[in-house]
Amino acid sequence: MSALKKIIFFAHRFEDGALVLALISMLLMALLQILLRNLFDSGFLWAESFLRILVLWIAMLGAMVATREGHHISIDLLSNVLKPGFFVPLRFASLAFASAISFTTAYYCIEFIGYEYIDGTIAFAKVPVWVCMSILPIGFGVMGLRFLLTIFVKEN
Amino acid sequence: MGVWGSAVVALFAIIGTPLFVVILAAAMLGFYLGDVPLTVIPIEIYRLVDTPLLLALPLFTFAGYILAESQLSTRLVRVTEAFLGWMPGGLAVVSYVTCAFFTAFTGASGVTIVAVGALLLPALVEGGYSKRFSLGLVTTSGSLGLLLAPSLPLILYGVIVQQMNLPNPFTIQELFIAGILPAILMVVLLTIYSIWATRHVELKSEPFNRRMAWQSLVAMRWELPLPVIVLGGIYSGFFAVSEAAAVTAFYVLIVEVFIYREVSFTVLPRVIREAMVMVGGILLILGCSLAFTNFLVDAEVPQRLFEWIATYIQSKFTFLILLNIILLALGAILDIFSALVIMIPLIVPLALRFGVDPVHLGIIFLANMQIGYFTPPIGMNLFIASYRFKKPITELYRATIPFMFVLLFALILITYIPGLSLFFLDR
Repeated sequence: MSALKKIIFFAHRFEDGALVLALISMLLMALLQILLRNLFDSGFLWAESFLRILVLWIAMLGAMVATREGHHISIDLLSNVLKPGFFVPLRFASLAFASAISFTTAYYCIEFIGYEYIDGTIAFAKVPVWVCMSILPIGFGVMGLRFLLTIFVKEN
Repeated sequence: MGVWGSAVVALFAIIGTPLFVVILAAAMLGFYLGDVPLTVIPIEIYRLVDTPLLLALPLFTFAGYILAESQLSTRLVRVTEAFLGWMPGGLAVVSYVTCAFFTAFTGASGVTIVAVGALLLPALVEGGYSKRFSLGLVTTSGSLGLLLAPSLPLILYGVIVQQMNLPNPFTIQELFIAGILPAILMVVLLTIYSIWATRHVELKSEPFNRRMAWQSLVAMRWELPLPVIVLGGIYSGFFAVSEAAAVTAFYVLIVEVFIYREVSFTVLPRVIREAMVMVGGILLILGCSLAFTNFLVDAEVPQRLFEWIATYIQSKFTFLILLNIILLALGAILDIFSALVIMIPLIVPLALRFGVDPVHLGIIFLANMQIGYFTPPIGMNLFIASYRFKKPITELYRATIPFMFVLLFALILITYIPGLSLFFLDR
């Protein structure tokens, strides 16, 4: 295995791990809150915000993995009808478009996070909003890159 | 520029570009033309964080994926068979009830056909039902139960509508209650049809056997409390929806991994990952559609649409007919999640202007989508059934059509008798 392949392999495992970890933390945290509320009439003030931010992280991490596996929900009316000869160029166009839109979104996410960084708003506990939002440009950036790379990889 | 831009985006949509990209592109185009800075897009996507209800989506999906991985389907079929199998048309009823229950928990992802349908099909054929009838029945049942809590599309409808800050708000609990009678109506009508359709057929029927019934219950004893936890907890107001989701997920995890030991620790990460990839895809689309909806509202699109339609249609009932036709067509070509995020922001404000209750509208919407799952030519469950049972898709078209008419009749009743959905509600 070449070095690059190794890095990609570990990056994928890291991504999967983060996704699984996000759900497990969500489950445990939600349970803990229910227990604390019902048994001790208390709870962590920041737990609610933390849980909601996990939703965003699951959304982005899950979508990143979905991009890796070509599992995104799409409408796709034509590919059943079209001749295979048309199919390849259309797929290229569609991937290039998806890549461009993802990168554009990532760009505006970074710009917005810049403002948040200057503001220094706190999301929960001592974690600032910009840290919570950081998954947005990462997610869209990675997806943009993956759409782009898929153009050059032969479909199985 | 707007027209050309929209045409390009629409073109990319139909050649299979991921839906979230299409929605983002549409929103960007709209904001760009309206001179709104595009930093509004991350702000809108970040609004995913403002909805406590969304927490329920990953947790319920996780529970559903684990249940689908376990042998619940076998136990469920045994229980319903033991308790309902003796009735006239018993096996058909067994199929409907089992599928409805299973789909409510697994969210109509087609897994019902794979997990439950595959068990029911041979049983139906052995019970004396014809091949074609059984095939149609099983395929149709694959989306039955969409109206029952805690089905994912039902929650998603609630989430999307709540985001819109409409003048006529409702709770998810109300939506859950509204689905009960329409779902029962569908099962009853399908049962009546099944009995009628097989009136000339010699069917095997097992008399009620107390020992078998008891044994089947004992085998399922750990899963039996599930509806009580979910439905009882939510309907009684003891749990918030997201709390019920957390408790359900935890309970299912303990039962299937540690008690039944049917889902091993080693496959757990894979199951979680698969579930989260599906949820992630849906959540991302939802986040992007928040931006798009914002643009639609800014541009007063629903309002203009209403004014345009109101010049042709005045009555609520004509509007509902039109709505059903459009939704049935959409249900046949779009998958349910795309249909929800694309259509709700347009349709709900419109329907409210025509005096349709948003809870009732949700039930109508999902009932249409449920039929869309097996509407030719590309209803998703037709393909899943075709793949799973190794039958040509055309055979499935023919097999499901009578069932489709039964459910269309149910749809008409559900649409034009709002009381079916709103009977238990104070609306």
